[in-house]
Amino acid sequence: MTERSEADILDALYRHILGGEAEPSVADVQEGLGRGVRPTVLLFESMIPALDEVGRRFESGEYFLPEMLIAARAMRASMEVLRPHMSATDAPSLGTVVMGTVAGDIHDIGKDMVDIMLEGAGFTIVDLGVNVAAARFVDAIREHHPAVVGMSAFLTTTMPQIGRTIAAIRAADLRDEVRIIIGGAPINDAFAMEVGADGYAPDASSAVRVTKALLA
Amino acid sequence: MPLTSRERVLTALAHEEPDRVPIVIGVSNATGIKMAPYRELKRIIGVDAPETYMYDWPELGTAAVDEATMRRLHVDVRGVLDLEPAAVLERNRTREPHSDYINSWGSGAVEIAPDDWFPMVEPLADATTLDAIERYPWPDMDDPTRVAHMGAEAARLADDGEYAIMATPWLLFPLERAFAMQGMSRFLMNAALEPEFAEALLRKIASLCERLMGHVLDVLGDDVDIIKIGDDLGTQQRLLMSPTMYRSMLKPVHAEFIASIRRRTKARIFFHTDGDVFQLIDDLVEIGVDILNPIQTSAGKMADLAALKRRYGDALTVCGAIDTQRILPHGTPDEVRAEVRRVIGELAPGGGYLLSSVHTIMNDVPAANILAMVDAVEAYGTYPLAAR
Repeated sequence: MTERSEADILDALYRHILGGEAEPSVADVQEGLGRGVRPTVLLFESMIPALDEVGRRFESGEYFLPEMLIAARAMRASMEVLRPHMSATDAPSLGTVVMGTVAGDIHDIGKDMVDIMLEGAGFTIVDLGVNVAAARFVDAIREHHPAVVGMSAFLTTTMPQIGRTIAAIRAADLRDEVRIIIGGAPINDAFAMEVGADGYAPDASSAVRVTKALLA
Repeated sequence: MPLTSRERVLTALAHEEPDRVPIVIGVSNATGIKMAPYRELKRIIGVDAPETYMYDWPELGTAAVDEATMRRLHVDVRGVLDLEPAAVLERNRTREPHSDYINSWGSGAVEIAPDDWFPMVEPLADATTLDAIERYPWPDMDDPTRVAHMGAEAARLADDGEYAIMATPWLLFPLERAFAMQGMSRFLMNAALEPEFAEALLRKIASLCERLMGHVLDVLGDDVDIIKIGDDLGTQQRLLMSPTMYRSMLKPVHAEFIASIRRRTKARIFFHTDGDVFQLIDDLVEIGVDILNPIQTSAGKMADLAALKRRYGDALTVCGAIDTQRILPHGTPDEVRAEVRRVIGELAPGGGYLLSSVHTIMNDVPAANILAMVDAVEAYGTYPLAAR
């Protein structure tokens, strides 16, 4: 079998992530690394462009949740193989984002998609999971010093927890240290304004734009 | 002579104008009232009735609304509900307090905060093979205690003749069941990566749904006007899955389920599906859906009630459309009345509209808004409708 060229590997990695094929994506990363392709080349020339295309296809209605979920999984698996080969200077983090679904709510699909898209865009993610009490957000801000805190709520009955969590962050004198971005089915811009968040994103790909804009 | 509630509903379903817009509240979980607003509602209207739960299932949190309250809400439909097998209900009643609720499918709910239960027990979470489907201990749909009580209830309602009867057997939505068994994201990933498995799982589940529905129809005989089924196919902004995937994987399952019901009864098919499903309405009409619910007006194109009425007003009756994401929980009674007036103006001309909240009235809805909603139907939903 003839060896694939670097360009072929990069092209295959892009296509495999876009198509949500986790095992071939991982194999592409491993082959690329074995052939001496620099990790940043794999990341910036294949993986991140693939994720950008996933976001574009989701927004334009070509991709739906299943396609986005499997692409995100392929990206995550590829990142796990790639990360140990990257030094801090290779791809400096754009900042840390603490993420969580608020207390009383266990919906996580949207939040998990935002994790993947933000990580793909270069942020460091600290995901606190679901049903996260306000105090845990506060503790995580003290521990991780994030630039951004992301909160999700899927239900109208759990939306008020966003306001309570922001109040707890304010009471802990930490509000000025972080930008707060919120999302979830019943959330909109007006609600974000009302509870004193800095931004709202209706889906995972726009979450990247909103987060970058907040830090610009 | 004024119409009976049943005549009112049947007239609207025939796409003719009855005396007023029919109301469907408290009849099934999808049109239900959670316990907190129900409690407040009873207090305001001075009704003293026990606090029992729909399907004898406290973890669901939806009230079994008493008859006096149903009358005060001017509800025109009465629900006839199945039950989980007596042994399953008993096992859950006597289990360790706060431990997981496990239903007959083996799926269940976890208490994440006091009295706050979420479906998180997913017994087929890791399954990806046909063998795993084959080996799973599926529920016994022939257990007579599931449906034994339904026949007498329906017969009593039919003898009385006042209300339209809706059969609302529970846990019979094929996609919802697949999510419950696997977790939503895991099943959706399997739908993309292992379509043969995903389809087999849906078909297995649908065969069980059809089996139980058969027993329900057996005990009901002719004493039923509406059969409720469904599956949530939309999200806040778009479909959950592509139209292509829906048409290849799930639509045939829904079509066969509906056909199996239609072979047995003349009752209308009520299909519950949350979110923005505008793109699939033609498909649902094609496979025999008569009534579409809940018309989530806060989701994408579902906001365009004029387009909905224009395109589907002849083919479908719609049920729902009173917003539960903003208006009912956060609006004032005046805003609720204005919304009822607006929605009736869009959907009710010529019949074909049953008023209901978009899905369950959650614990954040003030009871005053529920009363404002139903009383506004008297004010604005009396035919002939006032010119808009």
